[in-house]
Amino acid sequence: MNEFLTISFYGTAIALMLIGLYAALAKKNLLKIVIGLSIVDSGLHLLFVAIGYINKGTAPIFSAEVLDSAQTMVDPVPQALVLTAIVIGFAVTAVALSLVMRLYRHHNTASIDEIKNLKW
Amino acid sequence: MVISPVHYIALPLMAAFLIPLFGKINKDLVRLIPGLVLLYLSYVSVVLMTQVVTQDTTIIEVLAGWSPPWGINLVFSPFTGFLASLFSMLGFLIWMYTYNFKPEVDFAQTQKFYVLFMMLITGAIGIVLTGDIFNLFVFLEITAISAYALTAFYRERDGAEAAFKYLLIGSFASFLILLAIVLLYTQVGTLNMAEIAQRMPDVNPYMKGVILMLFFVGFGIEAEMFPLNGWAPDVYTQAPGPIGAIFSGMVVKAGVYALIRVIFTLFDVSEVLPLLLIMGVVTMAVAEVIAMRQGRLKRMLAYSSIGQMGLVLVAFGIGTHEAVFAAIFLMFNHAIIKGMLFLSGTYLVYNSTDKKISDLDGIGKLMPFTAFLFALGSLAIVGLPPFAGFWSKLYILMAAADVRLIAVIAIILVVSIIEIVYYFRVIHRIYFKERTSTIEIKIPSFNAKFVMLVLALLIVVIGVYPDLISGLIERAATDLLDKQHYIQSVLSVGRN
Repeated sequence: MNEFLTISFYGTAIALMLIGLYAALAKKNLLKIVIGLSIVDSGLHLLFVAIGYINKGTAPIFSAEVLDSAQTMVDPVPQALVLTAIVIGFAVTAVALSLVMRLYRHHNTASIDEIKNLKW
Repeated sequence: MVISPVHYIALPLMAAFLIPLFGKINKDLVRLIPGLVLLYLSYVSVVLMTQVVTQDTTIIEVLAGWSPPWGINLVFSPFTGFLASLFSMLGFLIWMYTYNFKPEVDFAQTQKFYVLFMMLITGAIGIVLTGDIFNLFVFLEITAISAYALTAFYRERDGAEAAFKYLLIGSFASFLILLAIVLLYTQVGTLNMAEIAQRMPDVNPYMKGVILMLFFVGFGIEAEMFPLNGWAPDVYTQAPGPIGAIFSGMVVKAGVYALIRVIFTLFDVSEVLPLLLIMGVVTMAVAEVIAMRQGRLKRMLAYSSIGQMGLVLVAFGIGTHEAVFAAIFLMFNHAIIKGMLFLSGTYLVYNSTDKKISDLDGIGKLMPFTAFLFALGSLAIVGLPPFAGFWSKLYILMAAADVRLIAVIAIILVVSIIEIVYYFRVIHRIYFKERTSTIEIKIPSFNAKFVMLVLALLIVVIGVYPDLISGLIERAATDLLDKQHYIQSVLSVGRN
């Protein structure tokens, strides 16, 4: 059971990252690229949480009942990092979407092939 | 108030987000506050650098009472302190330049500009000072996000396109870096850079290689390393002129710092140095050849900037003490010289829409002061005596000669000739051609002239008396190479 959970966590994380990278690199629509970038982020966040996860673990708080339970505690550091990473990912997506809006208004298209005032 | 390294991050960040509030009180405060903060940070730099140099210590700032390795700490050592001081002083000068750069830009835009400006500088200084690898990532993202927004600052240009391109490559870089941090955490179980460096010898060598490559490519993108530096020329062309000076002077330098810190302190594998050397040579050669074919002034400066960063990587890749010294010297020189080239070049093509080099024909007679400083900067960056750029190039060549890298010396010299060709072509157009274009020129404001003059004087003075700065750089190089000292000075704070 435990092994199955681990594999499914890591598998999903890697699958999400690959799907996101494919979307970001192969799609021509600006919005789809942004969606791809945020899927990559989700995959990375899941990988991060999965690393600290322990099946049937407890919260990392020392109390009288769980004094000697450090082995079964979930690692809190990755969770703290993921919260930060989610906020950063949100900010990047917001900036990206505002850029897409600007590009769409300027060029009247969201296709990356038709926006080439600069060399790509 | 006790002066401490935490001011470098707390004050500009606070100022950035309070600027809109100050704007409600008085509109001039929006422009004044960033300057006051940066002036204060320059003062902090002087005080702390004196302390670090005279007492020969490393100042470790423990944040929120969590001593390392548990909490985040700031490390103000001769190397990181040198870069932080450089960034805050250059930031102050560039602020003075931006003060009335485009008077026609409305108040709301000015406000946004300074919020992003302060965030960009905070991010770059934060990358350099932090002692925590995840914190470094956070500062990198602060820098990156404000850089994307600043690139798209002018609505009438193609800024959004350049910014989107930058964002795509930048997101890929931050994905690789974050993945590397995750993998690193699974291997060493800590995020403190000193403790990572201490535990690194126990890590499985294959895993080590994978993590290092992820960091190498990730930070390489930020440091304009070949082949993923396609974002740079467009970003430099589309961003406001003074921001180009910040990009080449601070943002890219911070990227190089991160790359170097990871290679020298965290991993300390000498096997990767030849790779750095080769990537540096390729970056330099390709960029300089492309620079020669550019018809637009800022694109040319951008490719020249990439080429210089390649030279910095070459020097770090040689890896001896002399080479590291030369590399840090070049980082300093490039910051002031390329800063001045961007600042003066921006005024030379101020009203030109295409920013073509041919628009500069005969401009030397119309704008004698700015054109002269641009010419001086061109001579300095190609490494002619008696300017600052000469010494760093000479030291790099000497360091390469010490380890018998004849091919590298040959390439650097050939590339220098290419550099001379395209910079002298611009000087030729400025002084020896008749003016044909009808574009109205823009005479720089007094403070902009003052800033360019200060930078020009610095270039000449350091060119004549390199010893003024070489003592500090010598310490910085020693500090960077002394990994054990770094580990000890950070971790000993926790034990007391």
